[in-house]
Amino acid sequence: MTEPAAVERYLTEVTTRLPGSARVRSGIVAELRAGLLDATDAHRSAGLPPSAAAVAAVREFGDPGLVADGFRAEIAAGLARRVSIAVLVTGPLVGLLWIATAAASHLGSRLEWASLPAALQASLALTSLAIGVTACGALFGIAVTGRLSRWVLVRPCQAPTAAAVAGFGAIGADALGLALLAAGLASIPGRLSPVPAAAAAAASIVRILLARRAARHCLAARASLT
Amino acid sequence: MRAETLKGHLDGILLAVLEPGPRHGYAIMEALRERSNGQVDLPTGTIYPALHRLERAGLIHATWSAAAGRRRRVYELTPAGRAALDTERSTWHEFSAAVTALLQPARLAASPS
Repeated sequence: MTEPAAVERYLTEVTTRLPGSARVRSGIVAELRAGLLDATDAHRSAGLPPSAAAVAAVREFGDPGLVADGFRAEIAAGLARRVSIAVLVTGPLVGLLWIATAAASHLGSRLEWASLPAALQASLALTSLAIGVTACGALFGIAVTGRLSRWVLVRPCQAPTAAAVAGFGAIGADALGLALLAAGLASIPGRLSPVPAAAAAAASIVRILLARRAARHCLAARASLT
Repeated sequence: MRAETLKGHLDGILLAVLEPGPRHGYAIMEALRERSNGQVDLPTGTIYPALHRLERAGLIHATWSAAAGRRRRVYELTPAGRAALDTERSTWHEFSAAVTALLQPARLAASPS
């Protein structure tokens, strides 16, 4: 059966206001469509002709902008949660590859740390800071978008902001890891174990590209809330 | 009753409507109207994002089901949702008792003889 034109127009008005992936939007639209058709059926049962029943159903659902506003906050929260979890899970994995590189290359003794140039020491300190920022952003993003959201009340824009901070923090940590690798190759050529170093570098490059994309999406989701 | 009046209480109301058993979005709206004798009449579209928020908070669980050729998202309370509803009820009873007492016309103090 063809769906009433009023219902389709309403769904289009909601959809055009929604950010996010096609999969997320199609789930929302499918749910709203079922509700609108249920409402149309209820008005038809009350005696209205089909087209008038659809118009009444649309009126009953309210301003499409208001409905889209509600879903925008939910889409932003869902995205922030996925990004935060991804950053938090991949961080230790990439970190382990860098630690394996250092261990396989017999780096990390006190003597060598003291003998490192100041710039390298500063880079290591900055990497620790970036990892800390990433972990804090991701943990906050997870806390305010899941079960803890009942107790931790925040504004809707704060979850995607935290996830974007986590994403940019991950980019910073990985970029510093790559910079340290480049410095190591220049200062102690031949010392670095090639296989773990290549694996760590590849993992960091992939993570930088994915985190950049994810952080941008989070910022776009945040912008859609204001 | 307008949405602004219900602000802060919508979560508890939705949980209460789902207490007897699973319902899909429009059935939840119909139950809201019926149980409030038509007093609560929100724009139906606005309850869907609220349901998604409750699902994210782990208070309700949603599954897709198909009936009569129509796919609907059906919601049901989780154990955490039942516990939250109990808390919401006791908080509301305390709040409404206090406000009711405050809104009573003040009794004139007995004048000293």
